[in-house]
Amino acid sequence: MAKIAVIGDSTSVAGFRPLGFATFAVRHPDDARRLWEDLSGGEYGVVFVTEPVYEAIADLAAEAADRPTPAVTVIPGAGSPGGVGEAKLNRAIERALGTTMLIREEEE
Amino acid sequence: MAKIRVNPNRMELLKLRRRGDVAKRGHKLLKDKFDELLKEFIARISENRRLRAEVEAQLRDAYGYFAVARAEAGRAAIAQALLASTPADLLDTAEKSVMSVRVPIFEQRELSEPGGYSLATMPVVLDEALAKLAAVAPRMLELAEREKAIELLAAEIERTRRRVNALEHVLIPSIDETIKDIQMKLDEAERGNLTRLMKVKDIIAAQEARERER
Repeated sequence: MAKIAVIGDSTSVAGFRPLGFATFAVRHPDDARRLWEDLSGGEYGVVFVTEPVYEAIADLAAEAADRPTPAVTVIPGAGSPGGVGEAKLNRAIERALGTTMLIREEEE
Repeated sequence: MAKIRVNPNRMELLKLRRRGDVAKRGHKLLKDKFDELLKEFIARISENRRLRAEVEAQLRDAYGYFAVARAEAGRAAIAQALLASTPADLLDTAEKSVMSVRVPIFEQRELSEPGGYSLATMPVVLDEALAKLAAVAPRMLELAEREKAIELLAAEIERTRRRVNALEHVLIPSIDETIKDIQMKLDEAERGNLTRLMKVKDIIAAQEARERER
């Protein structure tokens, strides 16, 4: 049994609260660093972070990358440009293959 | 390649041959595992790309509805309306093994029913926004599950590749070289022995010849 957490600016996360998600609104992306210890403790199975927040906590999230939970997943925030989640995926590909070229070629 | 420091005798030679065989068998197994992991990994990637694009589009759509709601009722009123709820245990987590990598499985329970705000004062579009968000939530969890699996697979692939390389480029060559080295030293000792025997035989033959002359 676990909860789902959403961290981000209040505009992006507010809507998740009525659905039963645990929402953490941060005024500034760096404020999320202080929340991280509670979030990675095991109470939360999935932690959704908006793109600016992920950029602020990327090093903390990397430490959780080799554990099954929590699964840190990037979602777009309201008004953020996007592409961070894709970049995170590309880093995983690069880690596995040493390059990201291979997959791109295959898709085309 | 660095040789292993061992005494050059038959005992060590046999031991090293056995170690070499084990290393080669291990290398083959790991290599097979690596190939299989890679196949699994690549199969998951493009599927994940599609899902992520879909989830992001749906989320942005939902954000748009919320923006309209805010414009209609006011930022403060909407914020207040959305506050009335508590976090629930929405997930059942389990683990499964993909190629002996433990990946999580998330099973979603029923989402809380949005409510607690006045239907008279809140715009209809807020309900729609929440419905959109509720619709995308299961896909978000699926995305989280898949991305986590991909990350864990990536870590395992990296580890396996290191092991394969260490065996292929360090351990196996150094064992092979040490075996060759011992073999050469043993051969050399064998030749030394042979010449000594021939020399001894000559000396004895000469002695016997001298005794016969007397």
